[in-house]
Amino acid sequence: MASALERLRRSSAVDLTGLGLVALVLFWLAVNFVKAPAEFINVGLIGLTNGAIYGIVALGYTIVYGILQLINFAHGDVFALSGLVASTVIVSVLGLDADASVPVIVGGMLLTLVVIMTMFSFVNATIERVAYKPLRHAPRLAPLITAIGVSFIVQNVGLAIYGVNFRSVPAFIPPTNVFEIGGVSYTWDKLAALMVVVPLLGLLTWFVRQTRQGKAMRAVSQDREASAMMGIDVNRTISITFAIAGSLAGAAGIVFLLQFNMRYDTGFELGLIAFTAAVLGGIGNLPGAVLGAILIGLIQAFNEGLTWFAPGSDWTRTIVFGILILILVFRPEGLLGERTPEGA
Amino acid sequence: MNAGLPTENILELDDVHVFYGAIHALKGVSLTVREGEIVTLIGANGAGKSTTLRAINGLNHARRGSIRFQGNDITTATPHTIVKGGIAQSPEGRRLFPRMTVIENLEMGAFQRTDRENFQADMDRVFELFPRLYERRTQNAGTMSGGEQQMCAIGRALMARPKLLLLDEPSMGLAPIFVEKIFEIVREINAQGTPVLLVEQNALMALDAAHRGYVMETGRIALEGEAAELKTNEAVQKAYLGLE
Repeated sequence: MASALERLRRSSAVDLTGLGLVALVLFWLAVNFVKAPAEFINVGLIGLTNGAIYGIVALGYTIVYGILQLINFAHGDVFALSGLVASTVIVSVLGLDADASVPVIVGGMLLTLVVIMTMFSFVNATIERVAYKPLRHAPRLAPLITAIGVSFIVQNVGLAIYGVNFRSVPAFIPPTNVFEIGGVSYTWDKLAALMVVVPLLGLLTWFVRQTRQGKAMRAVSQDREASAMMGIDVNRTISITFAIAGSLAGAAGIVFLLQFNMRYDTGFELGLIAFTAAVLGGIGNLPGAVLGAILIGLIQAFNEGLTWFAPGSDWTRTIVFGILILILVFRPEGLLGERTPEGA
Repeated sequence: MNAGLPTENILELDDVHVFYGAIHALKGVSLTVREGEIVTLIGANGAGKSTTLRAINGLNHARRGSIRFQGNDITTATPHTIVKGGIAQSPEGRRLFPRMTVIENLEMGAFQRTDRENFQADMDRVFELFPRLYERRTQNAGTMSGGEQQMCAIGRALMARPKLLLLDEPSMGLAPIFVEKIFEIVREINAQGTPVLLVEQNALMALDAAHRGYVMETGRIALEGEAAELKTNEAVQKAYLGLE
């Protein structure tokens, strides 16, 4: 009885602190909005776009976690390597430059997308086969440490092939405005990112909810042994899951490359951000990963882009990983996750 | 022999040994299931009943001995090929996919089948056996009662159109009214032609439903015989039926 009261008091104190914090953030956002509404919306749109890119990386973490309960730390590095390889395909293999005609550019981009997504689905499935499958029945710490090892390996493959310099591609899609209404604008290069990300999200949702193989993925995530008893080939399903995660990382790599410079270690930080997004939404939960990613994207954009009392980009990492710690302490199941016996 | 029943063996276990690490869980189990039969495997907790099923369905391969299904050696086959071959199971503790709907769970039971055109008819048949499941068809399986979940687990196994049905503790944790119902359904499924290997702690009900039975003790078959004979066997009555 006493301990129950104690718990109640503690949880209400925690709730009040949390609510206070959220109220403070909302107040800060409101003041910024009133002071400069157009700028606020612009910054929000940037956040949404980046959040969508984080989202497809976060989905890679979350589907792999769902099926193996493994944090695949190599995922961010697979993303970065895919971006680097995409730069080779675009610049050296296809020889595209910014002066090419629109159909050539669009065709070249789609071709690159298909090539990179296919290639990295194989890369990721191979990583699972070689590094994680032999540890399927080992204690959970073993594959986790292996994942960190694979992360370093993939990063160093990128370093060995591409060196320490940043890679980029010409500005194929100019940052000209799609629309501008009263100071609120959205540029083509960002829209292009969404035009890749949103259909992929839709495709993944459809696959997981409607197809036989997608349902098998959910079944294996929920009860691996019972799935085997139903005649589901568990190893094959896990391979397919890694292949999908790899192809999503590949798509994210291209979309990221079109807007930013990349090098061998770009995936480390972006991977951690996407991982935070997956945890924020509830690891293993697909809509949660997208929601978490968009929230992280918005938080980052508001932090870096607003003018009234914004901490600025120097604080982005601190804030993002501070959020990670707060979720792990106060709501380990994430925003949309379910409480599991493991509490994760 | 059972009069009127074909005597062809559909499943044969011959001297099967299974180990969990260093633990010798099955110490030479031999048993057969014939076409058309309900065979029950009874015994105390930890006697090796579920382990026997895990050897059959490929989750724990036998280290020694052989398992033949319809004449084919399946001793070291993978679980999914065994299901494809025609052995379906309703596992102990039901093991439904809790965040999938009843319909999706049933679909997973039919995962290895390629004749998709017959799915709907088979699902209708399951709903006919268990009208309660039809009412719950779009509900997540994890939100149903234990009895409903057991129905769903049996229905899911039936969706495989099995040539042999393995039932592991179908009455466990259920209210008496559900237990009656479940055994009634098991008889009905069998009457429609599917042989059943039934693992049960509720020995009385199991022996009532079965044609033949095996009694397991610490990883071995201690007794075997016609179900009616086992029911009147003094040792069985003392140990498992609670009769003096």
